[in-house]
Amino acid sequence: MRGSLSDQSLIYLQIASMLEDDILRGVYREEEQVPSTNELARAYNINPATAAKGINLLVADGVLYKRRGIGMFVAPGAGEKVMEKRRAAFYESYIRPLVRESRSLGLGGQALLDLVSRAVKEGENDL
Amino acid sequence: MTTTMDGVLSARGVCKSYGALEVLKDLDLDILPGKIYGLIGRNGAGKTTLLGVLTAQNTLDSGSVTLDGEPVWENQRALDKLCFSRELQASLFTGQNTLKVRHYLRSAAAFWPGWDQAYADRLLREFRLDPKKKICQLSKGQMSMVTILLALASRAPITILDEPAAGLDVVMRERFYQLLLEDYAETGRTFLVSTHIIEEAASVFEDVIILDEGKILESCPTEELIAQFHYISGHEDEVDRVCRGLQVLSTHQMGRHKTCAVRGEMVKLRDAEAADVDIAPMNLQKVFVALCGHGDEQP
Repeated sequence: MRGSLSDQSLIYLQIASMLEDDILRGVYREEEQVPSTNELARAYNINPATAAKGINLLVADGVLYKRRGIGMFVAPGAGEKVMEKRRAAFYESYIRPLVRESRSLGLGGQALLDLVSRAVKEGENDL
Repeated sequence: MTTTMDGVLSARGVCKSYGALEVLKDLDLDILPGKIYGLIGRNGAGKTTLLGVLTAQNTLDSGSVTLDGEPVWENQRALDKLCFSRELQASLFTGQNTLKVRHYLRSAAAFWPGWDQAYADRLLREFRLDPKKKICQLSKGQMSMVTILLALASRAPITILDEPAAGLDVVMRERFYQLLLEDYAETGRTFLVSTHIIEEAASVFEDVIILDEGKILESCPTEELIAQFHYISGHEDEVDRVCRGLQVLSTHQMGRHKTCAVRGEMVKLRDAEAADVDIAPMNLQKVFVALCGHGDEQP
């Protein structure tokens, strides 16, 4: 988990997204328990209701599930669900702003595509 | 009716003046059980008066304050459940406040039926407070620690703290909010905390109450409130176009560059996202300045 919260987005969304990051990184594996709302509240000095809101968001998305009387656990296939969710948001949160910025810089569509292919190639070389 | 719900502290039509000065103006407020509330307001907004009125430590001119539907005034059943830990003063009308810390705490122990002496002793040790010291010999920070200790150890179902963070260093302030959250996780009791150091407390408050010029301006979940406010900045023409139909709280112009603080639902902001302007979120402190600055703020 990241060390601290920013004021750039709502705290419960940050809590949800930090848990998702940690699921993708394998910090929490399938069928493993994630921190409780009180543990999250203590770790980040936030209201437990806010932490619970973040966790409930992931429950609604099928990423976490509740074992009554024990706590919250990572659902089977959670990693894939997080990826799917982020792929669905990728266009709105990355591609459209990218196109908008390139347009304001006077880069045409082809110039942008060329840059993207270059970045893709360089990424392949890095691997 | 919320007024008859169990454990609700309600103010209805509360008016309070000091001479010609109207401090609380026809104020309504409900404090529901099991939440941590933050109370914020500018100097002189009426925060301490409100807290005093809610706990029957101050009289009111008209209106009512009830707990579980019963008036709190001179009502022992209600007062057993309410703790307002007031700021300590080094001097009283009679001269210096020579009351010793342990005597102050002993009277608190006699007052609240739920007083937790073991908890009080633990906090005395953690805060390194000497119970034999006189209140007038304490530093400002140590006085804050005594009021915090009293509030926490009272174990009162509704516990009210007025500026507990004032005078504490940053390490102690963080520790205070930790203690508050630990106690809350354990007991789920209601806390109402006033503070001027807004940003570091914002994430602790489930609900925020904004008091401005004797009236409740907002009383709602903190995140819901923050989500309504944004800064929109860019070329003045574009900014003006985007801000049409939104509530503009303040504007700041530098040449053609314009920044507006706006309030509006995200739906309307969809148009703004398509335009060539920057949209930035606000934090609670900025929201407070936008709502209560009344033009006093430096742009």
